[in-house]
Amino acid sequence: MTNLSLADLAGYMRQLGEGALITLELFLTSFALAFIFGVLIGIATLSRSRVVQGIWRVYASIFMGVPSLLVIFLTFYGGSAMLGAVLGEFGARIDISPFGAGVIAFTVVYAAYIAELVRGAIENLPKGQFEGARALAIPPAIMWGKVILPQVMRLALPGLVNVWSFMLKETPLVSLAGLQDLVAAAKIAAGATKEPFIFFVATALVFIAFSALSFRLASRLETRLDRGQRREAAGRSSSRAAA
Amino acid sequence: MTMHAPAPDAAKEPGRLAITISGLVKHYGSHRALNGIDLEVRRGERIVICGPSGSGKSTLIRCINALERHDGGSIVVNGIELTADEGTVQDIRQEVGMVFQHFNLFPHLTAIENCMLAPQLNRGLTKARAEKLAMHYLERVHLADHARKYPSRLSGGQQQRVAIARALCMEPRILLFDEPTSALDPEMVNEVLGVMEELAASGVTMLCVTHEMGFARRVADRCVFMDHGEIVESRDAASFFQAPESQRLRDFLAQILR
Amino acid sequence: MNGLPIDLALAWESLPALFDGLKVTAILTALPLLLGLALAFPICFARMSDRRWLALLAEAFVTFFRGAPLLILLYLVYYGLGQIEALREGPFWILFGSPFGCAIVALSLNHAAYMVEVLRGGLLAVPHGIVEASEALGITRRNIFIWVKMPLAIRYGLKAYQNEVVSFIKGTAIVSVVTITDLTAVANSIFEQTYDPFTPILCAAAFYWAFVNIIRLGFGLWGRWLNRHNAEDVAADAGVPGRGAALRRTSDLGQVTP
Ligand SMILES: Nc1ncnc2c1ncn2[C@@H]1O[C@H](COP(=O)(O)OP(=O)(O)O)[C@@H](O)[C@H]1O
Ligand SMILES: [Mg+2]
Repeated sequence: MTNLSLADLAGYMRQLGEGALITLELFLTSFALAFIFGVLIGIATLSRSRVVQGIWRVYASIFMGVPSLLVIFLTFYGGSAMLGAVLGEFGARIDISPFGAGVIAFTVVYAAYIAELVRGAIENLPKGQFEGARALAIPPAIMWGKVILPQVMRLALPGLVNVWSFMLKETPLVSLAGLQDLVAAAKIAAGATKEPFIFFVATALVFIAFSALSFRLASRLETRLDRGQRREAAGRSSSRAAA
Repeated sequence: MTMHAPAPDAAKEPGRLAITISGLVKHYGSHRALNGIDLEVRRGERIVICGPSGSGKSTLIRCINALERHDGGSIVVNGIELTADEGTVQDIRQEVGMVFQHFNLFPHLTAIENCMLAPQLNRGLTKARAEKLAMHYLERVHLADHARKYPSRLSGGQQQRVAIARALCMEPRILLFDEPTSALDPEMVNEVLGVMEELAASGVTMLCVTHEMGFARRVADRCVFMDHGEIVESRDAASFFQAPESQRLRDFLAQILR
Repeated sequence: MNGLPIDLALAWESLPALFDGLKVTAILTALPLLLGLALAFPICFARMSDRRWLALLAEAFVTFFRGAPLLILLYLVYYGLGQIEALREGPFWILFGSPFGCAIVALSLNHAAYMVEVLRGGLLAVPHGIVEASEALGITRRNIFIWVKMPLAIRYGLKAYQNEVVSFIKGTAIVSVVTITDLTAVANSIFEQTYDPFTPILCAAAFYWAFVNIIRLGFGLWGRWLNRHNAEDVAADAGVPGRGAALRRTSDLGQVTP
């Protein structure tokens, strides 16, 4: 590290830190939205309507078959024009930021994957769940909120963890649309200091560490969900015995 | 010679011994699965091994073809002492065929391909010759009609007979069976036992772990009763059933034959 | 206002350039798929080795090249390794001397890391009993690997492999950042010339979509052929068309979680 003074280093570290915060913000916002929309879409596609099934098939096929980078470019470059078409004159004057483009693109793409997971999990639920709730005349909203969804989440958790880590690894793509995120900051620091190796390896390690941390949390969550599940099951069977 | 030595002439003619096991010890961790086994098997002898679950029957016969490595005593198969040496192990496995409880057929190969694989790989047989050999043994287990089927299309009894044919294709001089009928539906047990009886008549040396006592009576030259990793009793089939010496064997037979 | 955001004339004019871009994308897919697979085998053996240091080394490789975002890997190879004089001038100039070489290196390392886990998952799924049966037949370890373990591992790992390949193809879209004119780069340059934000990107997307789905179709046929021995599996696969679209890494989650 010949030409790297301590003051310079501190400056780059600050930039990297700011970039990391932006990356984190982008990632968490996108994942939260993708999760909400994914669950809603997943439930909506349970409808047997041909139209709904058709729309779902087309949507899933397109966004699972196309690079996220292109979806980001499309929303970034074409976003204003699309808003103009939808909202008229007013929308056309809104400029989409790289951050906004990233959030929209990731939400659209990953909602498809999450919806697919949710669909799979619901299909794997024992059929008795629905019938039992119906027989007890439980209102649908409560049935979904208290009975079905918690179990769906438990079944879908491994897949969700997967989507989580995969999406995390795609967040740097938004820097190609001009977002000043962690990777962009690392690239600037690498170029200015002529130490690309150090900065890129360090950045990679940040991603790996974050992944590892979230895996650890996920496995803890999984054991907790499993425990809840067992207790619930025990409770159910005893109440059935009482009835 | 132990008290249940069946063949006084065997010791004088080592060439007539197929397997000699002495002082065999096998541990799993600290658990002693085999605790000093002595057993001599003459050429062409048919031995049935029985005993309660966990008594070490599988471990014993799996040691003979080195699927498990023993850690005390010695095993000599057809005059070759079994050591850790990879070449020795291969040599012994060419002489010893094995049939498993759960068949363990290759699911991606047809019945005949299951039988052809080892002869082609081990003995360098051409495809045509391996096919002829495989067909011969499939006929012997009465499955020639099913040669081109995949295992998933065969019943349990048929799968086990393919497994027997597969072992026979290596033309081993010794055959080991580990509860070959206990994973089968009752109506399929007899077709497998029938094939095994035909084999027994052909003079091959057989060591068979089974609880099929009818089969033992008809076929076995000698029955061996194991418990807690030891051979408790070993004698000819008739006296084994009629006059068991130990209380443990009497209890066991009472349970089995009930 | 035009209902369709696509300028058909521009799309037609752009076709030849897009096809050239697709060709580059296809090459950038094919070469790393081959190199990565070749690299994955030894690393997978190391990962499954009994020697702890070797297994740890392989695990570190997998963790790094799987956990790092592809874009960073590309920067790392292009700006990091590509700038080292010794590498540019030495015998590896063909790899590090050009953007194309750097992209191939980065993509191959990433694919190899994923394939180690795909392979390992497939190999671990091979039932132990089937391997034992092969050992008992006296088949050598090498032959067991080639004729029994690998054929089965391919079947068990095919879905994971397909997901990896599909996701890999989509991942190649970033190579334009090191000045390679792949499909995405072609679309970008048309956009910069025409300021039409829809036509070139949507056309490129259609090309990617077609490419990815041809690959999926190919895998589907391959899987059906491999699973001809198991009719029920084929039927089950056909009943779940959405599965093939799942994210890569879905099936190896068990190995990712601590
Ligand atoms: N791979 C193994 N690891 C640990 N213990 C084992 C293993 N295989 C067998 N054992 C133990 O060794 C004993 C003998 O087992 P086994 O030979 O399979 O009995 P049997 O075939 O008579 O039922 C049992 O107590 C069993 O639990
Ligand atoms: Mg047993």
